[in-house]
Amino acid sequence: MDNNNPLSPHIQIYRWHISSLVSISHRITGIVNITAITIICFWIFSLLLGESSYELTKIFLQSIFGKFIIICLTWSFSFQVLSEIRHLAMDLGYGFELKTTKITGLLVIFGSIFFTILFYLLGRNFI
Amino acid sequence: MVQINLPKNSEVKKGIYYKDKTGSKNIRKVNVYRWDPSLGENPRVDSYEVDMDNCPSKVLDVLNKIKNEIDPSLAYRRSCAHGVCGSCAMNMDGKNGLACTKPHSEIDGDINIYPLPHLKVKKDLIGDLSGLYKQYESIEPWLKTNQKVETTEILQTKEDRVKLDGAYECIMCACCSTSCPSYWWNGDKYLGPAVLLQAYRWIVDSRDDEKKERLKKVADELKLYRCHTIMNCTSACPKGLNPAKAIAELKKMLATN
Repeated sequence: MDNNNPLSPHIQIYRWHISSLVSISHRITGIVNITAITIICFWIFSLLLGESSYELTKIFLQSIFGKFIIICLTWSFSFQVLSEIRHLAMDLGYGFELKTTKITGLLVIFGSIFFTILFYLLGRNFI
Repeated sequence: MVQINLPKNSEVKKGIYYKDKTGSKNIRKVNVYRWDPSLGENPRVDSYEVDMDNCPSKVLDVLNKIKNEIDPSLAYRRSCAHGVCGSCAMNMDGKNGLACTKPHSEIDGDINIYPLPHLKVKKDLIGDLSGLYKQYESIEPWLKTNQKVETTEILQTKEDRVKLDGAYECIMCACCSTSCPSYWWNGDKYLGPAVLLQAYRWIVDSRDDEKKERLKKVADELKLYRCHTIMNCTSACPKGLNPAKAIAELKKMLATN
């Protein structure tokens, strides 16, 4: 086959649906989470260096931008956990019907938003 | 390797606009991917205004109408027009399917038609599937039996026969494999849903005696485990089969055996 032939368009034209969206988000949140966990470890490690370095991170996290990041992380952890449960069920061979994948996918998306709000309210002592 | 952008020679340019000449009031715009190997240019998307009053119901009919009445240079594969041969597999409205079974009334707005994704284009809507066929050959899709007598049938119970339902109906149109992002990025190693469904079909066949060898053959991180249950395959399958579930069953067999 002549290698100069063009490659047909793929991700540029392919329509997204719930399952593909959840799948790619699962990977992205996975990367975000592992990075976040690493940074949190460094933050805890910084405690050893004394109170001032701890305070620095605390001030950052209490800023609006810091709070935004915390909320985002709450979402990405919620998403990852729910999506992982979905994947576990799939590994057992359940939930492969098109309708089921759509429903479970939507559950993951809305569930993650629900848990983010729930954790926010719990964290702010509103509940 | 994950490559999001198309290579330079594959970038799609704007093409020719064919205005309607019939004077019909019921016009639909059909955008079709075009590439002619003899021109040495980049691919382009041509737009055709098609008179829908005199057009039957399927996307293949639209293409036939374009080829017969507007632009005879358009190339695409088709044969049975009844969803059996799998020749007219293409990407319509962002989703793979058979043009002969996809009603154009299901598509909103312009009808966008592309070849099956991430294939080397031979001409217009014809993609090169030789890589997939080679992979299909690699799973040895024929019966292997230790039975010495060749004059009698190999009997199968009804229960064993039922296991083949949902696998034997596959027409190898490649809609599923070319819809799979994993197959796009790792098509040289990952077998893809179509071939894995066929691998599964021979593994669960009670008449076949090489189940273990077959399983061992697909038990490879890249051959099988590149499936991340994206489910594009199942949602694309024009025959309503479920390759994703077959792959999950294969994984399960390997985990429990």
